[in-house]
Amino acid sequence: MKNSIKVERAKKNITQAQLAELVSVSRQTINAIELGKYNLSTILSLKIAHVFNQSVHDIFELEDSDWESC
Amino acid sequence: MFICHYDIFTLHLPHNFKSIVMKTNYLFPNQFKRIGWLLFIPGVLFGIVFLIYQSQISFFNIKVFAVAEEPIFGNTNFFSISENNILDEISSLLLIIGALLIAFSKEKSEDEFISKIRLESLVWATYINYAILILAIIFVYDMAFLWVLIFNMFTLLIFFLVRFNWALYKFKNQISDEE
Repeated sequence: MKNSIKVERAKKNITQAQLAELVSVSRQTINAIELGKYNLSTILSLKIAHVFNQSVHDIFELEDSDWESC
Repeated sequence: MFICHYDIFTLHLPHNFKSIVMKTNYLFPNQFKRIGWLLFIPGVLFGIVFLIYQSQISFFNIKVFAVAEEPIFGNTNFFSISENNILDEISSLLLIIGALLIAFSKEKSEDEFISKIRLESLVWATYINYAILILAIIFVYDMAFLWVLIFNMFTLLIFFLVRFNWALYKFKNQISDEE
């Protein structure tokens, strides 16, 4: 899954720590999501989209590899 | 039609998200971690004292109520009163309750990533624990195996604590790509 959190943060001019506080997780969790190391929960993705005033689809995007069985 | 519904949904997202976050109700509050250490450390010390001196410390010999007891020479008794050195009982209880509180108290900044680390560590600890037990079943016999079983009462929790705290340390010190 790809995401544009980093871009959206730059647009809004907020740091990882500030975004983390807005959605009540740790800064490291935001970092792991940005690096694509962690598949976040639906609720957290909805919260992040809400912070950026966008829909989830604008920020998170499926990749081909997501369809392969693990 | 779908887009319309979607818009309504996003418009009505509550502003206070805390109210809709799924609560993890199987963890203790963060303060219990400290209590856990206060029980665990004396548990380790009592355990070491017991291992070195075994039952020589008569101060801990008291009468106990036993649901079941089977002396090495003699018959099994049920619901009896017998005399026992309770140093090992105290040590085991402190170790288990202490380790449970340390392991399953919330972190100061508990979030879903930490829940993931906790779950992974628990699976990992279970594998290691039973891998060692399987080896012990094959290669260790008689009284030596009894000692393996005694240590095995605590090893699952201890392996979990080591793996979880190591993963947590790595998580907290991960390299940020933030400019």
